[in-house]
Amino acid sequence: MNTTPFFAVVGHPNKGKSSVVATLSQNDAIAIALEPGTTRTRQSYPLSVDGKILYTLVDTPGFQRPRRVLEWLEAHSVSASDHSETVRAFVLQHQGDGRFTDECELLTPLIEGAGIIYVVDGSSPYSAQHEAEMTILRWTGRPSLALINSIGPDDYSDTWQAALGQFFQVVRKFDAVRAPFEQHLSLLRAFGQLEPDWEKSLDQATHHLLAQRQQRRLQAAGIIAKALKDMMSFQEKRTLTLDQAAGTSDSTLADQLRQRWYQHQRQREQSLRVEIEHLYQHQSIRRQEAELEWHSDHDLFSEDSRKHWAVSRRYLATAGFGAGAVSGAGLDALTLGSSLGTGALVGGLIGAAGSYFYGGKFTLPVLNIGLLQDGLKTATFGPVQDSQFGYVVLGRAVDHWWHISHRNHAGRELLDLQPADYHWLERLDKKSRQTIQRTLDKCRKQQPLDESQQHRFHIAIEQCMAVYDDWRLNRT
Amino acid sequence: MTDHPLRLLLDFDACAQRDNGQAPAFLHRRDRKFALTCEQQGVTPGPKRWLAHMNHLSGPGASSSSAEQTLRFWRRINSGFMAAGAIFGLLTMLGLLFYDGGQRINITVILAFVAFQLLLALLTTVQSLAGWQPWRGLLRRFHNNFRSDVSVRLQPVLMARAAQLGGLSFAASGLATLLIMVVLQDLAFGWSTTLDTDASRYHGLITAIATPWAWLWPAAAPDLALVEATRFFRASAGETGLDPVLWGQWWPFIAMLWTTWALLPRLVLFVLAGVLIRRKARHLLASHPAMRALMYRMETPALETGNRHNDAADLPDTETDLTVQPLPDARIVLCWAGAGDPELPDALSTGKSLIARAGGKMTLSEDRQTLEQIAAQLALGSNQSVLLVTRSWEPPTGELEDLLASTRELWPKGTQIALVPLAAHIEREPDAHQVQQWLRFARRVGPEFVTVSLIPIPGAVPDMGGGVTQ
Repeated sequence: MNTTPFFAVVGHPNKGKSSVVATLSQNDAIAIALEPGTTRTRQSYPLSVDGKILYTLVDTPGFQRPRRVLEWLEAHSVSASDHSETVRAFVLQHQGDGRFTDECELLTPLIEGAGIIYVVDGSSPYSAQHEAEMTILRWTGRPSLALINSIGPDDYSDTWQAALGQFFQVVRKFDAVRAPFEQHLSLLRAFGQLEPDWEKSLDQATHHLLAQRQQRRLQAAGIIAKALKDMMSFQEKRTLTLDQAAGTSDSTLADQLRQRWYQHQRQREQSLRVEIEHLYQHQSIRRQEAELEWHSDHDLFSEDSRKHWAVSRRYLATAGFGAGAVSGAGLDALTLGSSLGTGALVGGLIGAAGSYFYGGKFTLPVLNIGLLQDGLKTATFGPVQDSQFGYVVLGRAVDHWWHISHRNHAGRELLDLQPADYHWLERLDKKSRQTIQRTLDKCRKQQPLDESQQHRFHIAIEQCMAVYDDWRLNRT
Repeated sequence: MTDHPLRLLLDFDACAQRDNGQAPAFLHRRDRKFALTCEQQGVTPGPKRWLAHMNHLSGPGASSSSAEQTLRFWRRINSGFMAAGAIFGLLTMLGLLFYDGGQRINITVILAFVAFQLLLALLTTVQSLAGWQPWRGLLRRFHNNFRSDVSVRLQPVLMARAAQLGGLSFAASGLATLLIMVVLQDLAFGWSTTLDTDASRYHGLITAIATPWAWLWPAAAPDLALVEATRFFRASAGETGLDPVLWGQWWPFIAMLWTTWALLPRLVLFVLAGVLIRRKARHLLASHPAMRALMYRMETPALETGNRHNDAADLPDTETDLTVQPLPDARIVLCWAGAGDPELPDALSTGKSLIARAGGKMTLSEDRQTLEQIAAQLALGSNQSVLLVTRSWEPPTGELEDLLASTRELWPKGTQIALVPLAAHIEREPDAHQVQQWLRFARRVGPEFVTVSLIPIPGAVPDMGGGVTQ
């Protein structure tokens, strides 16, 4: 017998078998449709660590003629002891028989030693017609677990639970599209408990999956931090020759630069989205991204975005106090402390006041059209001079990250990034606020960040993600 | 190359930039595989070995061009500084030794100049350690490829080395010029100062300066007599009656002064700059974000969750040209697989001559009997329609297909079957996508034989697309 655990995901057609497999194998490229017969052949999805397979999920087509199969089995069986042998004989005899292709496909892994994961749709009423297929599965003698998936809005899971309990060792509810990650792990552990030999492999698998998820969170923070730095410090530059300069008015030049600057920032934001999606193994969201553009109201530069994602004046004032206080403390250091700390206080007050008054305006990036020099004219646009821009980018990025990290791979619906109606960032601790504010300021001044600043910035972004996660969790 | 860690850092940085767009899963797989191979071979997977592995896989000519470009740029800067140093050293020494036969060459001026040189050399090193880069704008004009974070951080130490190299070249060229001048001309050195000082104090200063080499070359450490004899005042022009040979006896001191206090410090600081570059490069490499990521990828097992298979494009055809037909006036109703349990809607139960059940919990032989019973009924009456009631949410399976095949055999020719999918709540219409699957099923079985109809629900408007909208 194969010692590596493997599980055949079986059931009636169109009950979400592929969705369960897609979510557990983090594969969003499995064909899923509200159409019976989308899965035509069995397909293996192994989870491996360093090439060593810990378990395999096998997606199978649904039962087509269970009563006929059961009739054959009953006709060829003498006693309960030969049930599994009879199932094997059925598969052998009907290989190549077009009527039983689906049954052979789904029973083959079971006669090879797979565990049974039987999937039903808990949103449709229980029906006794499933009993024939459940009986066939029981005949295989394999360890079994029933999953109550939920495709529609109704809930009949209680009646399902009672009925399934008579046929299967374990019955679990699992919404393939909406189940949180913790439930994925708990389900895998339940798979492991079907047979003692499987427990260790499944425990290892859950351990690795958990570690991978934690690491992805760190990586996501790094990716967002990098994009923020890039976008805050980006400057669009154009050098014109004498002839070009003569043919272009300053306002046209400014318009061109502004457009190119905006275009670049939008592209950078899109590449951030794709990076985060790929990090979480979502490869197919891109086609839904095109739909996103339709939401022009939520576009990066709209006033609406600012209202939703930018932070309040009060937030900026506290963050600004920290930044100002640091420059003031520098003054203290220069005067060897003879200012007795007044530098920090004065600096803090100036910083806070500046942030408070400045925070109300979403100022455009600085446009600078140089004079003719050596026959060339250089014009620059950016970096953005308002740190609110950074908060808008950050808010949107963290929101997108949250949706992606909580999105199961069975999900095929449009990723709709609705703006938050609450300034969740205001829950952030003071230290992280100051770090973010200081880093955004440094970026827009195009000053390099040293290692410890970068490290602190990453931690602050992680903190943002944690705050957002917490806010989302408690919101619903 | 002398600065090997520098090359390693630049190559690594270039490699990390190239990896930027790669999928994290791919990178993890690649680097973990490398680490496991190293483990099998019993070697430690360090960045050097990793780079060699990457280059080896890429084949010949794989070394990073951007690293080469950066190094070439700095080699050019070093050469420029050396050339400029040599020229300025020559000119400066010629200026310092300018002697027209009238006045003496003032030792004090040379001392001050050497002290200034020493100060400059030390300042250069301090500046590089502090990371202050007043010349950054100038560099950017020449080379705009300094966007890389690593290059920017390396600039202070690289620039310090270039400056020390320039200083070294300056000092060496100055020394050579001095020695040539000593051979070619008779130079008259003396000392002079406005300060009220006497020869013994000046001698004390000279002795202190000459301490490093006095034991090695006594002639290069002037004695008190020479110091006393060679003081001159510009105001007292003319002959002093001093032996002219004495004026020339200062040159070993000048040569050693220049060597020890201008040339040697530059040499030491140049070597130090090299050491600083190596240290900085090692430090930058160790703290490189990509290095941390690489180490993580090498240390952590690569997890494949089974997401390689891709059949997303292989979706069944969900188009159909059939539409929902009006419910025919039939007197026979056949409920499939529990449809209509516990009770059928009025439209399907009133005025019917036969309501039968098949599928679901019934056995295949019971199905057969039911079909025969219906066949008998059909043979009696003139109405050739049968309503086959199904659950809209349970997709049509092979068993239903088998049943329809049997009906073709058993029922009289010309019998029409209308599939009637019911919603879970019979007071509602089934969802459009559920009706669609029945339409496609009817198309597969044969639309001349099977059609799809819905029971009329008050307030519902038939949907032309096949479904029904409220």
